Amino acid sequence: MIYDEPRFLPGGDTFVLVQFGDDARIDLNFMALGLTAALREDGTAGVIDTNPSYNSLVVEYDPDLIGMADLEKELRRLIDGLGPVEDLELDSRLAYLPVMYLDPWTKACVEDYARRITPRGGDPEFVARLNGLEDAHQLVRVHSGTEHWVVAVCSTPGLPLMVALDPRCALTSPKYDPPRTWTTLGAIGVGGLSTSVYTTPGPGGYNLIGRTPVPLWDARARLPAYRDRVVLLDAADRVKFVPIGREEFDYIARRVEEGSYEFNVTGYQRFSVRAYKAWAASLDGRARF
Amino acid sequence: MGATVLKAGLEDTVQDYPGRKGAFGMGFPPSGPIDHWSFRLANLLVGNPPGAAALECAFIGPTLRFDRDTVVALTGADMQATLDDAPVPLWESVAVRAGQTLALRSAVRGARAYVAFAGGIDAPAFLGSRATFVIGGCGGLAGAPLKAGRTIPLSGGAGTPGRRVRARHRPPLAGGGAWEIEAVAGPNDDWIDEAGHRRFLESDWRLSPKSNRVGFRLEGPDWTFTRKATDKAPENGSHPSNVIDHGYPIGAVNLCGQTPIILMVDTLTLGGFINPYCVPTCAWWKLGQSRPNELYRFRRVSVAEAQERRREIAGFCTEAVLA
Repeated sequence: MIYDEPRFLPGGDTFVLVQFGDDARIDLNFMALGLTAALREDGTAGVIDTNPSYNSLVVEYDPDLIGMADLEKELRRLIDGLGPVEDLELDSRLAYLPVMYLDPWTKACVEDYARRITPRGGDPEFVARLNGLEDAHQLVRVHSGTEHWVVAVCSTPGLPLMVALDPRCALTSPKYDPPRTWTTLGAIGVGGLSTSVYTTPGPGGYNLIGRTPVPLWDARARLPAYRDRVVLLDAADRVKFVPIGREEFDYIARRVEEGSYEFNVTGYQRFSVRAYKAWAASLDGRARF
Repeated sequence: MGATVLKAGLEDTVQDYPGRKGAFGMGFPPSGPIDHWSFRLANLLVGNPPGAAALECAFIGPTLRFDRDTVVALTGADMQATLDDAPVPLWESVAVRAGQTLALRSAVRGARAYVAFAGGIDAPAFLGSRATFVIGGCGGLAGAPLKAGRTIPLSGGAGTPGRRVRARHRPPLAGGGAWEIEAVAGPNDDWIDEAGHRRFLESDWRLSPKSNRVGFRLEGPDWTFTRKATDKAPENGSHPSNVIDHGYPIGAVNLCGQTPIILMVDTLTLGGFINPYCVPTCAWWKLGQSRPNELYRFRRVSVAEAQERRREIAGFCTEAVLA
């Protein structure tokens, strides 16, 4: 549900968690990102950083510059200024990311887990079955048939936490239990309601359905896209996955390797919550691609 | 010009304070020193700003040979340091001549030693900080702990040997293996029932050897929950400690199933487990100096009390308190 009044919950002496509701409806993330943008614009004294997520926003502050009570007052003022969620408009770039779905590398990663930790079948088939899809190929059509909303860039450097904007393409699946100890770099995972891209080869819990050959962050600025930024995506951006085959994967991987790969990111759009909700409401939610 | 690593310690990293701030939106934790009290004092002793880039050495320290004259200071854990063959005092600035060797050994008290050099370490800034983030492979020197053969580039600065920190301004590293750690309730304290809170505050928690800059894992009694943890929207997940992914405050006591992990400076910045308590910044030095299998007892404090203690420690980390 959406709370009538946002909740302000302390996180030690330098953090406060602002919670707008207790489920994962996308309006709550729009509010969190709206408040993030408002804080940036306002330049509120004592606010150091923000860390948004599905229904909440962690605000880091300097208690020598602002106390928790005053911070809460400032945050309430900015939240009131946002107005109803439908009025929100957010800067939103659209990034096209090449993905080889049903690839051999994430398949091997899942098989390694099944051998060493606990038996399981293929992840794409599992997610397809759970979501009433014919097979893994329909899963690919569904997953690549929508723009994915970047709820947050978080957890590890450059990692986008995303949800499908087209309700006809929403997927749900349980996460690994126990989690994997390693994950293919660049793996596309789905878990809960989210999609993500593994930006470090560490542990993980999402079901693996594909792999992108392109890095979503680059501390060494090797690719042109990373000359003036460290991570590709920001919260409130959108991602469209472009299915590619093995030959294309290898070609792009070579371009990345030699430092000449050019990302396709469009930057002229604003995301209107009102327009989005009107469009989503007009769809037949039972339809599948 | 700098210091050459003859022998690397267990995990020697370049850090600065307060670390990489303002980068949550890109998925970066702050990094920086865990015991930021000892860290700041080491810098002040050699005439640096308290946050300048210096070394954090965990459990076993490195051996360094200097190729320039400088002034160094060691604080935090006692690693039985010697300069050539003479013992080096802690909490005091010391002159070093080119050609001398500074050797740190195993910590006999505390867990993390801090080594500051006059002028600081000349590591490149990444996203505004020189702090090493090992998982991300960035910051510090090549984004990794020191290796034998590497030179630590030193900026060079005028330090004064013989400056000292009085005992009352240092973190009280008494040893004994039992720690009282401040904890602020929230953000998810209402997911834990009364018995669970009592058990958290009245039990000894053993620090697991599987602890590091990412998180301090604790072993102790089981947790019990309120209905908020058991009757919730399905997208929260099935275990009582599961919640819809949310941002993690640094220092949070993150409940992963039944295992609490205190999220530290290199933590994941977001995830799907609740945080019933947070360890405030004034107590991080205790985490940084505690050793595996030592015991924690948590004491609940208010946000205001934690902020007051933070200010008190900051007051000790100023040039004015040096002798």
